[in-house]
Amino acid sequence: MDLSFYIQLLLNGVVIGVIYALVAMGLSLIFGVLEIVNFAHGEFYMLGAMLAYFLSMNVGLGYWPAVLVVTAVAVALGYVLYEALLGSLRGQSFERSILLTLGLSMVLQNGAVFLFTTTPRMMQTRYSYSNVIVGDVRVSVMRLFALGLGLLAFAALYLILYRTRVGRAMRGVAQNREAALMVGIDPRAVSRLAVAIGIGLSGLAGAALAPVYAVHPLMGFSFVFKAFAIIIIGGLGNISGAAIAAVALGILESVAGGFLPLVMADALAFIAMIAILLLRPQGLFGRGVRV
Amino acid sequence: MTVALLQVRGLTKRYLGLTAVDEVSYEVEAGTVVGLIGPNGSGKSTIVDCISGFQPADGGRWLLDGHELTGLSPHRIARAGMTRTFQTVRAYDELTLLDNLCVAAQEGDGVGWLQALGRGSRLRGVEKAAEARGRDLLTTVGLADYARAPAGILSYGQRKLLAIAAGMMARPRLVVLDEPVAGVNPTMIRRIEQVIHRLNAEGVTLIIVEHNVDFIMSLCRRVIVLEAGRKIADGPPALIRSDPRVLAAYLGQRGAAARGHGRR
Amino acid sequence: MRGGWLRAFLVVLGVAALFAIPRVTGNEYVLALGVSFATFSVLSGGLNLVYGYTGLLSFAQVGFFGIGGYTAALLVTEQDWSLWAGAAAGGVLAALVGLVIGYSSLRLSRHAFAIVSLSFALLCLIVALEWVSLTRGAMGIPGLPVPTLSLPGGLRWRLGRPADFYYLLLGFAVVAHAVIYLVVTSRLGRAMRAIKLNEPLAQSQGVNPLSYKLLAIALSALLAGIVGGLFVFYLTIVDPSIFDFYYTETMLIMVIIGGPGSFWGVLGSSAVLSALPDLLRFTTDLRMVLYGAVLIAAMLLFPGGVGGWLQRRRLARWRRPGAVAP
Repeated sequence: MDLSFYIQLLLNGVVIGVIYALVAMGLSLIFGVLEIVNFAHGEFYMLGAMLAYFLSMNVGLGYWPAVLVVTAVAVALGYVLYEALLGSLRGQSFERSILLTLGLSMVLQNGAVFLFTTTPRMMQTRYSYSNVIVGDVRVSVMRLFALGLGLLAFAALYLILYRTRVGRAMRGVAQNREAALMVGIDPRAVSRLAVAIGIGLSGLAGAALAPVYAVHPLMGFSFVFKAFAIIIIGGLGNISGAAIAAVALGILESVAGGFLPLVMADALAFIAMIAILLLRPQGLFGRGVRV
Repeated sequence: MTVALLQVRGLTKRYLGLTAVDEVSYEVEAGTVVGLIGPNGSGKSTIVDCISGFQPADGGRWLLDGHELTGLSPHRIARAGMTRTFQTVRAYDELTLLDNLCVAAQEGDGVGWLQALGRGSRLRGVEKAAEARGRDLLTTVGLADYARAPAGILSYGQRKLLAIAAGMMARPRLVVLDEPVAGVNPTMIRRIEQVIHRLNAEGVTLIIVEHNVDFIMSLCRRVIVLEAGRKIADGPPALIRSDPRVLAAYLGQRGAAARGHGRR
Repeated sequence: MRGGWLRAFLVVLGVAALFAIPRVTGNEYVLALGVSFATFSVLSGGLNLVYGYTGLLSFAQVGFFGIGGYTAALLVTEQDWSLWAGAAAGGVLAALVGLVIGYSSLRLSRHAFAIVSLSFALLCLIVALEWVSLTRGAMGIPGLPVPTLSLPGGLRWRLGRPADFYYLLLGFAVVAHAVIYLVVTSRLGRAMRAIKLNEPLAQSQGVNPLSYKLLAIALSALLAGIVGGLFVFYLTIVDPSIFDFYYTETMLIMVIIGGPGSFWGVLGSSAVLSALPDLLRFTTDLRMVLYGAVLIAAMLLFPGGVGGWLQRRRLARWRRPGAVAP
């Protein structure tokens, strides 16, 4: 049993876990603040990756500028999404919001398939073939960049949620909506920002991982289901719980994937979710329990 | 000495670090109409939510006719004989008024699921009886004309009447009315008052939670007063009216209370 | 009650007409549409029961459908069961699974149930692909034999022609809808509607929301499982594509357009939408884009579908002055 093999798996797991966390935290933020499960969340991840691909392969942008542009576009898309669609739904129409975002996901996904076909594309960057080698462990530079981006995004999100007024307002609404509203928080402003941040995180995750795995219109589809499972495991509405569960899942999947067929590792998320529901329904960390 | 119909002992509820209800105890005798008043935030609605099972209590127990209700889910408490209305008036807007009432009656009448599907004569008999009682109650509250109308067309005051009628369908021992006259015009207030009298005359025990102090004082022979989660007074209206603690609790709202308008 | 008799007469006429179609035309294409309609109407009817009547958004129907298909296929090919028994077992298994996922997630919230039902459907797909020793993996179980059904009276019916499956699936669809109709027009259906319309009010009146929700889930799962068991024999193959999300999207559209909670609305829309795709000859992707757009528009503008629009007209009639009898 090769130690470096394990370390390799662990590192890969951390990278994918961090990316899972970005997507799951965005989903959790939107759910916590608006009580909406954003079915189309994976599609913004996919669009982020597709846009990054397009910018770097067709427009010739470098990796970092492409990521920056994609994130900005994603945040803007989040605003548009809220204003155009989600804002007109009130908190109590949970089923309507799921169906609305499902419809959006159908439009985006199938539209992308129609326009771009399902052929996977590989995004090449200047760093694509570079690796960092420490002893027997080889890590591609792109993965390291993805990890770095993810951690940067974590830090930014933490700063927003814990050090700004509007971030506190978001946490307040996610924890106890009625109390927050009574205190005079403007739900629309908070919701708009939550959606913008959530979609932004999703797009950033897509752009970060675009050079690592293949890019194709259906990549968001399975991703988002895992994100759903993650937020249940972490605890509905608990943003940091989602992050922790995400990273843990990434590591678990990676390590298990070293020994089991890959798709079995894929099923881990759902098996874990079912186990959590049967044993500890409020999730590992419950709602609103901050770590 | 008979056991009181409702016994509440040491009811406690905490919310976000605040103690909304603090060791409240009281008893309600069968056949009485008891008022529950108090300034904003005194815990009235929380008590109702707790004893009807909609909010978990942090401490205390409550019994109906000697049967333990503590910790039961809302539908079990309803089947045990205590129903309630809601501050935010609730009705099934898409169902007819009669259907609204028949739903309220169906869980307690002993008809099982298979019988319900079987459409046998037993079921028909039970449904007919429920319908007849429903029409009766609609007549009592003055909504008989709308029996086949969808509940969504009713005015706010009419919805309150419907809610009271629905609360009566299953022949409960105890009905808790949560702000039955809030936001309602004076004519309707009088109508609701009459309805309550008639229901009480038929033997139903009522607890009425209200902001409208005048309404409570004229309707109830016994009034419980809450402040900041604690019971501060309990007795006939005359005594309550002159109780210095009650006056102090309503200080600043006293003038408003005397005019019969609760403050939101 | 002339209205009731008229409606019953029309229904019988319609069903008789549907059964007569294979005698009028042997066109296999028409028969295939009929099978598709029968199957989808059962799926969307069950979804309507869970979502339209009880208010529980669920994505699990396709999971039950596929579980029924695989169970029937395996029992018939490996254990020599009859098709009746295999399909029935598929339905029962699906219902049990439905109860488990329903009970475990409804304790938490209906949000959790929606998410779990979704993950359940995806998990089914993964299991079908990966548990090769059970499900044969991506290849599935092809070459399902032509079933022979034992009918009362000692008759044996060999389902060799497309028309046979047409009769079988249509017949089951009629039975399934009769059962659904029986439930929704009874006090059980009334309780489900009460739960959807105002759950706290229903609770305060003694209605136990969990038991009715589980009933709706179990019944819809049972019907979906049985129709799945029959459907795979029509296809003569069961493979992981039976869990395709496409089925879920189509069922949802049928329920949304027909009107959640409207028995006839959903039945009608499932008929129209079964025939439509081939009439319009869109590619699947564009059709899905269109469905997605319809979903968005429906949620923003007319969440009640056709049935809801009819309901609002009924309401408006009551609101007109003089509508109330003195």
